[in-house]
Amino acid sequence: MIVAAINTHALIKMVYSSVLAGVGVAVVFSVAIVGAARSSDLRREHRTAAAAAYTALAAGGLLLAVGMVIYGLILVAHKS
Amino acid sequence: MSGDIILVIVIATALAFDFTNGFHDTANVVATAISTRAIAPKPAVAMAALLNFVGAFLSLKVAATVGKGFVDTNAITTTVVFAGLVGAIAWNVITWYFGLPSSSSHALIGGLVGAVIAAAGFAAVNGEGLLSNLIVPAIIAPPIAFLVAGVSILLVYRIVGKLHPGPVGHGFRLGQLASSGLLALSHGTNDAQKTMGVIALALVAHGDISSKAFYVPDWVVVASATAIALGTFVGGWRIIKTLGTRIIEMDVAQGFAAQAAGATVILAASSAGYPLSTTHVISGSIMGSGAAKRLSAVRWGVAGNIVGAWTLTLPAAALMGGVVYAIATLFGNGAIGPLIISLVLLATLAAVFIRRLQQATPAPVTP
Repeated sequence: MIVAAINTHALIKMVYSSVLAGVGVAVVFSVAIVGAARSSDLRREHRTAAAAAYTALAAGGLLLAVGMVIYGLILVAHKS
Repeated sequence: MSGDIILVIVIATALAFDFTNGFHDTANVVATAISTRAIAPKPAVAMAALLNFVGAFLSLKVAATVGKGFVDTNAITTTVVFAGLVGAIAWNVITWYFGLPSSSSHALIGGLVGAVIAAAGFAAVNGEGLLSNLIVPAIIAPPIAFLVAGVSILLVYRIVGKLHPGPVGHGFRLGQLASSGLLALSHGTNDAQKTMGVIALALVAHGDISSKAFYVPDWVVVASATAIALGTFVGGWRIIKTLGTRIIEMDVAQGFAAQAAGATVILAASSAGYPLSTTHVISGSIMGSGAAKRLSAVRWGVAGNIVGAWTLTLPAAALMGGVVYAIATLFGNGAIGPLIISLVLLATLAAVFIRRLQQATPAPVTP
């Protein structure tokens, strides 16, 4: 009876949304930091092509992280 | 006429509660960013206040849960809402005075439930709603935040582990600015709505809103957003110290992971309409980011004291809400009781703040 009173569907959704979004944003942002740091190192070593690739990785990671946050906020606002 | 007076007192009290909520919970939002020196205290608090204001406009699902999910709206009177609010404020001030993080949200709902029980008995409490929308989410949210922050920091260290600490630290400092902002936004989204729900509940009791067509008027949203933002701006430095440095000593990556985890859990809960305790969630994520690095890095004794304060919040605030209702109705069903209690509350608050300021002022140095 107690279990029946609980909206397990909403709870499970909250759990997996939190895990996916929280871990996802942290991982993607870390990848962006790797890209930025490696790009800076490679530029100092005059390896411009590799530096450009890491810059693209940094930009892509940053855009993806920002996109995930904005998408999450839109979902919260849209459902209310 | 007396109903109108009580409604005005309730709205003023609810907004005062919202202010104390922002004041009390500033620590949740900015403590990690300040303790890792990602941002200086003053801009951190200003940013948190602004984003709390914005966040309050993001969603109304939590307000609906608070307004119609826990108690029978037919049993609600403006005096009941008033007593619940005063019970919650009293508990918030007590925990603030002793430097204990508690939960403003649980204090509010506990106070309301206690006042309803005093007024109409246990039958007027929606036990299933309390269990499903408050107690179970309250129990599972901090462990989720702990897990998310823990897994995140392990993956983050694995990803950035071989890089020079300088650029990594700089990157995560920027990340922590963003995650602090997101946490402030999520705090406004969840916490400001609780006050909106209570004010809307008082409007239902007063007959301004039909219980069958429950909604939150725009002026209530704007007023609640403003009150929580002002409270956040004034800040709660004493509790910042507890949350920010006494649970664990953090690096910027841990701070980033803890804040991102806290923000995502609060936003996911807001989307489902759960009135979570932001204090519980961010403390869980701080512990998760610390424990993942080194279990002994977490000062479990302090964490245990905090958990003790949480456990006490719901029953203590309920008891206070019930006692305040009993006192208010000693003077009849009019506005006299709430007026007297409001004056006593204001005088007590002034005395507590003056005493706290006197304790915080250092003694003059004599040669």
